[in-house]
Amino acid sequence: MQDQILIEMKGVQKWYGGYQALRNVDLTVRRGEKIVLCGPSGSGKSTLIRCINRLEAIQQGSIVVNGHRLDDSIKAIDVVRQDVGMVFQSFNLFPHMTVLQNCMLAPIRARRISKTEAEAIARKYLERVRIGDQAEKYPAQLSGGQQQRVAIARALCMQPKVMLFDEPTSALDPEMVKEVLDTMIGLANDGMTMICVTHEMGFARQVADRVIFMADGQIIEEGAPDAFFRNPQHARTRQFLGEILAHH
Amino acid sequence: MAPHFGLPEFGFLLRGLQWTMLLTLVAFAGGCTAGLAVALLRTCGHKGVEWIVRIYIGIFQGTPLLLQLFVVYYGLALTGLKLEAFVAVAIGFTVNASAFLGEIWRGAIQAVPRGQTEAAMALGLHYSSRMRDVVLPQATRISLPATIGYLVQLIKGTSLAAIVGFIELARAGQIVSNQTFQPLLVFGVVGAMYFILCWPLSWWGSRMEARLALASQR
Repeated sequence: MQDQILIEMKGVQKWYGGYQALRNVDLTVRRGEKIVLCGPSGSGKSTLIRCINRLEAIQQGSIVVNGHRLDDSIKAIDVVRQDVGMVFQSFNLFPHMTVLQNCMLAPIRARRISKTEAEAIARKYLERVRIGDQAEKYPAQLSGGQQQRVAIARALCMQPKVMLFDEPTSALDPEMVKEVLDTMIGLANDGMTMICVTHEMGFARQVADRVIFMADGQIIEEGAPDAFFRNPQHARTRQFLGEILAHH
Repeated sequence: MAPHFGLPEFGFLLRGLQWTMLLTLVAFAGGCTAGLAVALLRTCGHKGVEWIVRIYIGIFQGTPLLLQLFVVYYGLALTGLKLEAFVAVAIGFTVNASAFLGEIWRGAIQAVPRGQTEAAMALGLHYSSRMRDVVLPQATRISLPATIGYLVQLIKGTSLAAIVGFIELARAGQIVSNQTFQPLLVFGVVGAMYFILCWPLSWWGSRMEARLALASQR
């Protein structure tokens, strides 16, 4: 049972100066589990996932990823980042590198594998996000949807145990949202452990094992998507869902 | 009877030009190397180190270059370290350039979007790879116009080296002018030489700037 748990956050507290961004957050993620995090802006959902790969430091509590306790040591941070892939709202592809180079850099530098091997892995995952024919292009030559799929492939090339998505479709034109969501659904169907910060409630219904609602840096409510959407317990959840679903 | 401005005089100016170019080259190469270190230390995230580097930059940006050259040439001589004029001014210009280039590149490094560093960190890349592979290539592009601009300033600025007796282009012009009593002609030629050296660089710099502005609009 114990090694079924991939991520365990306990009593996590995070401040930005005097502002408390996370209040006593507990979260346990099992292997293969798909979690959707939602909540109003400023609720701490992005901060929460950014703590998992230590893009943000926490002030109190503990985070264990794949059996490795995350502390301030470079070694611990290294080990955890090798296991955790991340996709950002603004893609953050490296603009001076081709799509292929974007995907090969980290495996070569961080995993120290050969160029040939890295290229084979990169081409495999680019194929998988159905963008293999664009491998020689630069990010600026691609549409937003294509760029985000490259970003997903780039993260997958490190063969992570869990993928974090930080509002991956928020910066996209509406007609490109589907291609990215479809890629994520494919990934979920392959059994990848995923934590997604998103307002795509259709995606949540289809893919999530658990939906978590956050407000003011706290987890307010969580549940299986069916129960969560049909019968939210808290007034804040109802208010949030009312606002967000009115737009869809 | 004073000699007229002829081939020998022109040759003398050309040798001055050579020294100007050599001094520029040495100072620029040295300044680039040290400037990179300054820029990296200035953005390393360690408060104490950043503070020390800030003082270093402040000293060299906040005092006249002339004074700095005096200190290296005469000041070090007082401590018993007698340097040749070229070595002294090369050191002076190098250190000065390291402060200015360091500050230009510090700005360029900080102008690379934060998301680039975050993506690199999320991929498990270490500091050296993050800088070498991700941040510096982009910062170099951003800083190129300002760097070229500084190089042009440096070329013209090397004329200050004359003050410690180093015969570069401007000083050579002064010597020839004093011999021939043809200041307009001599300094006209000297000016043309500086111009031929600097103008293409300036032109290249502003073209790079225009291209960058265009790229950032996309």
